Order: sequence, then structure tokens, then C-alpha cells
Amino acid sequence: MAAGEFRLRVCHAKSGRARFLSHLEVMRALERSSRRAALPYAVTKGFNPHMKAAFGPALPVGTAGEREYFDIWLTQPVPAAEALERLRRSTPGELGIREVRYVHEREPSLTAASTMARYEVAVGGEGVTAEGIAEALVTVIGEGRLEVERKGKTKVFDLARSLPEEVRVGSTGPPVIVEVTTRMGQEGSLRPDALLEEALSRAAVDGAVVSVTRTDILIEEEGVVRRPL
Amino acid sequence: MNSDLYQRVEALLPRVERPVRYINSEWGARHASDGGHRTVLLYPDTYEVGQANQALAILYDRLNSIEGLAAERAYVPWVDMAAEMRAAGVPLFSLESCSAVADFDILGITLPYELTYTNILEALDLAGIPLDATGRAEEHPIVLGGGPCAYNPEPVARFFDVILIGEGEDAVVQIATAHRDAKRSGLSRSEFLDNLAGMPGVYVPTLYRPAPGGGVEPSGSAPPVVMKRVLTDIGVHRPPLCPVVPYMDVVHDRFAVEVLRGCTRGCRFCQAGMVYRPVRERSADDIVRDVMEGLRCTGYDEVSLTSLSTTDHSQLEEVLRRLTGRLEGSGITVSLPSLRVDAFSVSMARLVSGGRKSGLTFAPEAGTQRLRDVINKNVTEEDLIETVSRAFSAGWRRVKLYFMIGLPTETDEDILGIGGLVYRVQQAAREAVPASDRGSVRIGVSVSTFVPKAHTPFQWEGQIPTEEIVRRQEVLRSAMPRKGIDLSWHDAEVSFLEGVVARGGREVSAAIEDAWRAGARFDAWTERFGLAPWRQAFAEAGLDPAAIASRSYRRDERLPWAHISSGVSERYLWLERERALSGTTTVDCSFDGCTGCDACGTLSVDVLLGGEARGRR
Repeated sequence: MAAGEFRLRVCHAKSGRARFLSHLEVMRALERSSRRAALPYAVTKGFNPHMKAAFGPALPVGTAGEREYFDIWLTQPVPAAEALERLRRSTPGELGIREVRYVHEREPSLTAASTMARYEVAVGGEGVTAEGIAEALVTVIGEGRLEVERKGKTKVFDLARSLPEEVRVGSTGPPVIVEVTTRMGQEGSLRPDALLEEALSRAAVDGAVVSVTRTDILIEEEGVVRRPL
Repeated sequence: MNSDLYQRVEALLPRVERPVRYINSEWGARHASDGGHRTVLLYPDTYEVGQANQALAILYDRLNSIEGLAAERAYVPWVDMAAEMRAAGVPLFSLESCSAVADFDILGITLPYELTYTNILEALDLAGIPLDATGRAEEHPIVLGGGPCAYNPEPVARFFDVILIGEGEDAVVQIATAHRDAKRSGLSRSEFLDNLAGMPGVYVPTLYRPAPGGGVEPSGSAPPVVMKRVLTDIGVHRPPLCPVVPYMDVVHDRFAVEVLRGCTRGCRFCQAGMVYRPVRERSADDIVRDVMEGLRCTGYDEVSLTSLSTTDHSQLEEVLRRLTGRLEGSGITVSLPSLRVDAFSVSMARLVSGGRKSGLTFAPEAGTQRLRDVINKNVTEEDLIETVSRAFSAGWRRVKLYFMIGLPTETDEDILGIGGLVYRVQQAAREAVPASDRGSVRIGVSVSTFVPKAHTPFQWEGQIPTEEIVRRQEVLRSAMPRKGIDLSWHDAEVSFLEGVVARGGREVSAAIEDAWRAGARFDAWTERFGLAPWRQAFAEAGLDPAAIASRSYRRDERLPWAHISSGVSERYLWLERERALSGTTTVDCSFDGCTGCDACGTLSVDVLLGGEARGRR
């Protein structure tokens, strides 16, 4: 942080229709919200000066988020409650601002620090039952590895590493709600819908993933798991 | 909000490309309460192409600002979404309330470009509205057209109930109000249209029939010539200050303020320069105020000062100095869409670009002075070389040059002249930069094919045949310097189709409909364009498209667009044509005195510079 800059961390949603936005579209929309909020944002130096802001890990088009994050650097401290209010007024409801707090400049960047994410995956369809899904998941996870094909490339995930917490299957449905925690980072981020789709095809069940929501992004620090805010 | 229809739309979204095109809920979208008169404004292309259209943004703003009137937006779904909608029985919908387009009172469609015409039919069909105006019943919306292509309305006239000629700020509000009142007093569709035909600028195609000598004539009491609508002062309406801010990365994704309307440089090929007369500027104070307010409301990081020729604004330097001062340190930039070939333009570009020197664009249009005099492009090679040297000395490394081939009187010498001019520009650019930097000098050359447009001095001229376009493109390619030039040109078949549709009359509408039935849509998209459905369509309609595009008219023949007037007299256009053929240039009336085009007198308006009127002859 340049001297005299203040790093404000913002937690927002990506819900409703906004789940169809790409990461780039969310970033641009929130930068515009911040300008509309007239926050005294810092501007980068260099060839192409722009708002100094940094965003958390990307969400795919179609996936919702309950607690997503970005950092914005201010040149003057605005009381957090006031910044929250101004951002709320200037942001579309689907990207609703939930919380803001100043964080220390030594706090690692959102993309580097965020290593786990929790998801809720809704699985719907005629033959879908909680037991069927749970059984198929046990089989898939028991094999220890999952091959995922995306854009013509095959990626292999070590499930012991990629699934740091137990997968929980809700008892009602369909749609059956499955809670999945996955690890993300440079070694690859397992998409929870890929895991569920594999389970559905193993169980030969006529069902489909109907929605995916990232409910939390998590930071692991010396064995402790915490939220970025 | 019609949540039932939206749920059916939403169910399709996971299966289509770019679902963000269809979700609405952007910042700045207006959600009117129910009960009033409702217009839906449609741009006949995808969301990302049409969203930033300034004309529709102005009309959206105007209609929504008036008690009892409301406007929403609609776009044409891409082919994947259209297929899903047809399979699921989902009709064309508006974004704001997700209502069926067929349920609106008025469907307003802008006519931006001839190759969007099949998309209009696609939209009407998806909406469940009969394509032909004569096939519509009382419950169908009034289909209202307008925009640049309305100056030759006949190729699409059959599909519209009403076409507005000229500027829409006041006219569209009057039309919507008249329609609301007509509905309240129980008038039928045809009674309403009969009455509306008397309103200035309004053309009701069903009230006209083919005339014996060509073109069309009123079958009843409708006016024989429809005169365009024009605002005497564009400053009476502020530009939309809180327009819709899209999520999607759209074309022209920035805040825009129209700083002046019209251009009187008098380029003889340019339809916009003839039909948007006279020049009317917004004052510097208004521009600065509106830019600052619009940026606050939208949160954009860029503002564009738009017009046909922004560097012609008499107070531009003052505007830019004030804006760059106020925006310093904000990361917000000002951009100018088009530059004149002169030193002033380069100094203005320096003022707005700050550290950025992305690229400059100039349009010499022709390769020899003789031909530039014919088209009245009052730019010399000296000006261009001087301007380029100045720009490259100031740090720019890229320049793009626009040319046309197929202009009246053009010979191979003129085409070879383009190559020579580009070579000398390249040399000048290389000499203006340090030796170590010469490798980074890039000259872009974009060459389009001239389409003689209605209401210009060249309206009587035919377009050159396709084989000749291809041959001249070959000549051009052989004349270009070998290295450091990025040459691109328009597809000859696209230019040919533009020519047919821009120059044709009412008979062309049958071919447009057949082409759409044969699968033509999004013809303006390179990956979608194909002449095959069009060839089939022309054959079915019994038309020879080459004869339509290349037909020349005599002075005493009636043109297909003779019932439409921009205020510039046919007498003046013919005089300009004669001057063109003799290589005589004409001055810019905004600065050098009236040239007698008759627009100001006919329309009762004046040239308005910096808030002051210039007297007319």
C-alpha cells in the first residue's frame, strides 16, 4: 500500500439474475458501483491509470455466491458504516453489499489466501433421492480420483486433497441439496457440479444439477479456517 | 414484472451463449408502474450491439420522463436463444418487465443499417406480430420505425405502420400521446393512422401506393412529400444523464454526451452530412455540466463526446480543458470518436488521451486530390502528412486510415493513388519517430466500397458491379506497400447487398421477407453473412438485384425515395452533383457562409454555434 492508502474489504452477493454474470462483468459492475458511491478510491500509476481494486476468486457464469469479496484502496478513510451505506445505495440488489471492513495491508491478497470454498449444489430430477446421491458419492469419492473434461482438456483431481471436508447430503428433495467443500488454488479448483454430475452418471439416475451457490470462501492459516472478513 | 414469462425465459438461459444478454436488471433500467401507455423500443440486433445506441437511449429517457407514458427495451435474441424460444413457445419479450412484445401499445424499431432488416422480421415473427402492416389487427402494437435508414423507407415500408422521418425527441412523445388519446376515445387502428399521417415527419406507408412514374404517391389525403422533423436547438433536451449501465461488455460501453448534431462539411458521398443539417451545438457549459452529472449517475470510467465531427465544435478546446481539469486523478478518461485531418485534432487528442496513445483514425477517403475534390473531402495530402508527422512525433505509433473505392469518376489511377498516399504516410510516420522505434509503426488501412445513398448528390449514380469491386480490390492490393500495413476491406458481396437494399424501392421488401424465410438473419455479422438465401430470395421475387444496385437515374426520373425530404432540396443535390463531376469544391456553411442547400429555410432552423445562431440566406 502506498503511504496514506486505506484498504477496504467488501463482502457482496451474486444472486438472482446476476448469477448469469461472468467474473469480468461482476468486477466491472462493482467498480462502477464504487465510483457511483463516490468513494475516494486510489488510482494506479502508470500507462493506463485505473481504480485500485482487487477481486477474490472467480465464479463461473451461472453460479451464485452468498459471500464474495473484493478489496478497494481509498485515499482517505471513510467510516466503514458510511462506506457500507454508500455502496449499498449504488449497487444493484443482485450484487447486494453485505459487509465492509478495513483490513491491514499485510493481509494477503484474496486470490492468494482463499484456498477453500463451500458450495450448495441443488440436484433435481425425477429419479433423484437423497440416498441414491449419497451412495453414488461414496463410490466416486472412494475411488480417490476424478477425471474432469473441460474445453477438450482432461484434468485429474485427487479427491482426498480436493475435498477437505465431508460431503453432506440433505434429507429432503428433490431437489436434493448437497453441501460440498472444495479446495482451490494453483493445483486446480474442483467444481462441485463436476463431482455431482459424475455421481449422477454413476448412479444412472435421470437428474441434473439445477443450481450451484458458493456459500463461503475460506482462508486457511496455520490450521485455522476463517472467512476473509 | 411478468414473473411467469421470466421463469420460462430463465429456464432457457443455462443452455445459451451469453445469458447476460437476456437478464435485464442493469443499473439505470426504468421500471414504470402499470396502467399507462407502453412503448417497447427494439434495436434490430443483439443486446451488445444495440444497448449503447444513443438514439434509443434518448427516446427511452424521453418517454419514461412523461407521466402516463413508459418505455422498455428489447433486442433480437441470438440464433441459439431464438431456437430455444421457438421450441419452448416463449415469445419475444421486453427486458424491464419481461412482457410479451406483442402486448405493448407501440413497438418502436430503429433502422440503423440495411443489413439488419432481416432481424426486424425475425423480431416480429418471434413476437407473434404479422409481418405486413395490412395483416395486423386492433390488438397488435403500432409498429413504428425511424432512424438513418428511414430516408429510403420503401424496402421495409410494408412491415411498418408508421415511419418517422428525422429527429425523434419530440415526435415520438407526440406519437405515443396521440396513440394513447386515440385508444381512450375508441378510435380504430386505421382511424388513428389516418389522423397521424397529418403530423409533421410522419409517413404511414399503407396510405401510399406505387406511382406510375416510379416511387410512391399518396392514395388519399396524406402529404405527397414527408418533411423530416428537426429540433431547432438540441440544448432544449439534456442528454440521458442516467442511462442504462450494462453488465455485459457492449459496443461503445461508456457514457456519451452528444455535443453537436449535424455536419456541414459537405462531403458528397455522406448521407449523414446531408440529412442531419443544420449544425446545432450544445454549449460548453451544458456539456461540462452534463458530463459530470452523467458520470456521477452511471459510474463509468470513460466519457465520449459524440457527434459526426466532434473536432468541429467551436468550443471544443475549452470543453476539454475544463473536463480534463475536473477529472484529473480520477482515472476517468474523455474520448473523441472521430478526428479531422489537421493539427488541431492532434492537439485535442493529446489533451484527452493523457498518457494513453492508443491510435488515431483519419478518413482521407480517396487517393488523389482530383477525386477528393469530386467528393468534396476538403483534405490535402499535405494536411494528412503534416498531421501524421505531428502525431507520431507526439508519441503515437498507430494510425488508421479510411478509404473508399467505387466512387463516381474513379479510375485505376485513383486506386493506385491510395497505395502511394499510404506509402508516403508510412514514410512520414517512420521519419517522425526515433530509429529504434520504427518497427512499432503500424498503419491500418480500411477500404470500404461506396454505396450511393439516397438524399446525397450521388443519389442518381449506380453502384459499380460486384466483379468490378473485386477487380478494384485487386488493384488496390497490388498498390499497397508490402510491409507494416494492415490492410482490410469490406466483402464485395456485403457491399453489393447494401447497395441493393439501400437503393431499392418497395419491390425489395418481398426479397427481404423471402431471404429471412430462407434463413438470413444477422447479415451484418461476418460469420453469419451469406449471399445464398438472398440470391434465392431475389429469384423468387423476380428481381434482378444487380440491376437495382447499379441503376443510374436521370434528373427527370422519380427516385424511389422522392416522397421523403431532409429539407435539402433536390435542386441543390443536383447542383452539387454537377460541381462534383467538374471537380469543383464547396465550402462549409457553418463557417464560410451559406451554400444554398435550402435546409434552414425549408425547416425554419438556423446553424447554432456555441449557443449563437448564424443567419441564413
